[in-house]
Amino acid sequence: MPMMNSLPEPVAALVGALGQLPGIGPRSAERLALHLVQSESGQVQQLADALLTARDRIQLCETCGALTEHQPCAFCTDDRRDAATVCVVETAVDVINVEKSGAFKGRYHVLGGKISPLNGVDPEDLRIAELEGRLTGFNEIILALGTDVEGDATSNYLAQRLGKQGVTVTRLAHGLPAGSGLEYADDLTLSRALEGRRELQ
Amino acid sequence: MHLGHLRLRDFRNFRRLDADFGPGFHVLLGRNAQGKTNLLEAVHLLATLRSFRGVGSAAMVRHGQPGWFVGGRVVATASHAIKLYWSKNERRLTLDDQPIRKLTDYLGTLRTVAFCTEDLQLIKGAGRGRRRFLDFLLTQTLPTYLPLLQNYTRAVRSRNALLKKRPIDEATLESFTHEMVKLGNEIMTRRRTLLPELGPRITAAHARIAPDGEELSVEYQPRVKEDFAAELHRMRDRERALGSTLLGPHRDELSLQLNHKPAADFASEGQKRTLAISLKLAQAEHLAATHGAPPILLIDDVMGELDAPRRQAFLPLLNQCTQGRGQVFMTCTEQNWPEELGEELQKWEVTDGELKR
Repeated sequence: MPMMNSLPEPVAALVGALGQLPGIGPRSAERLALHLVQSESGQVQQLADALLTARDRIQLCETCGALTEHQPCAFCTDDRRDAATVCVVETAVDVINVEKSGAFKGRYHVLGGKISPLNGVDPEDLRIAELEGRLTGFNEIILALGTDVEGDATSNYLAQRLGKQGVTVTRLAHGLPAGSGLEYADDLTLSRALEGRRELQ
Repeated sequence: MHLGHLRLRDFRNFRRLDADFGPGFHVLLGRNAQGKTNLLEAVHLLATLRSFRGVGSAAMVRHGQPGWFVGGRVVATASHAIKLYWSKNERRLTLDDQPIRKLTDYLGTLRTVAFCTEDLQLIKGAGRGRRRFLDFLLTQTLPTYLPLLQNYTRAVRSRNALLKKRPIDEATLESFTHEMVKLGNEIMTRRRTLLPELGPRITAAHARIAPDGEELSVEYQPRVKEDFAAELHRMRDRERALGSTLLGPHRDELSLQLNHKPAADFASEGQKRTLAISLKLAQAEHLAATHGAPPILLIDDVMGELDAPRRQAFLPLLNQCTQGRGQVFMTCTEQNWPEELGEELQKWEVTDGELKR
């Protein structure tokens, strides 16, 4: 990149490092870097400490795979949560998203991805054996994976493999975004919502 | 719908072009190799994001330049600005200055049907071209079709990867097979429902331009006969030996028979050309009927290949497309100028990458 040539070497290195972060393009990276090198050094020290502390103290829960400070995590130990239901998600970030909805009060299990033959991800690369190890005690497994080809195939795979062990396997409904009119739904969502329609009681 | 403005930068032999077009019939005149077809290619590119010459983006850069830009203003019920830029390191597509994230949000902004010499491959070439012809129509008329097709293709490729591995992971293969069958059945249903509408349009168009006594039959031939899953299961051993998916809509055929014989093998060059034009006429008429407004027609020198009676058959569609707010672009050399075309033509001269009225 030609614009980096005019930057002092340490700033260019910082731009490079910031540019690796998700959602940060070359321009934002440069703006952040130039801001940081002109900030008070105490402030920058604080930021650096916060980064290191967060990275040091956060780990993946050995039981469910969620982000946590303590082993096992609060989701796995909280008695007020329903210990008979587990929600299976692709990534640790998905746990946070489901949790934000406030609609689920059970246990979690993070797979660490989805089966993807085109990217060399086999079932053994996912935390499926760990899930099987936790099965006793669960009477419902909710699959909350993505709805692309690989997500759906992974759901099929899990339903087959776990269904054999006598536990109920369910998956999330495909439907309309809540609180909006039909005009905001794309056609695919709308046709899936039509397929999955329900009788009103 | 019409293209109100076209802007080119370093596209093919056009260094810079800014031209305003009204609705109606535009004739691009010029000797060979002046850039007439390049203009049609640019308009088609805005509509479909592909070259009708079947080449990649790199082939469209003006010699020695890093990239090309094609922009346009489409006037329909509202007016939209499209900007398309390509270089080796960057591709950009915006609609009204908003980047496009999903193709389904974009396709349909501009609708075109191109008539060009490459159309002959529709008849001569492999089934792939004819599947593309069907898929293009379905993509342009059903918003859910493109994601369906993309997902099906991904499922087939995933399955092929699984069939090549040793030992085969049966449970995973089964999971992807399930998805592929589900998506494949949906594709076949869409193609099957298209044919009763499209088939008669093709045979009618053909009857108008072909000499009497030529009988054309058009038939959708899915490779799956009844039960995709069961028939696939019967191919189990061969699939494993070859390491690829041998059955499904990615192998379908649109069969074209002239006087009860396959057109690809038995039709003459002239008959094939007539057939190719019939397919494109039907495509344009289908889009016009579905959307209530005709697509922009891009006609590249095809008229010159037809004799006067066959050209007559073109006129109803041309009239429909130029009436109201429609638009037609046609390239011609002075020699093959079709005299029967009406008076209300807007003539443009194309000379060495420049366009003049």
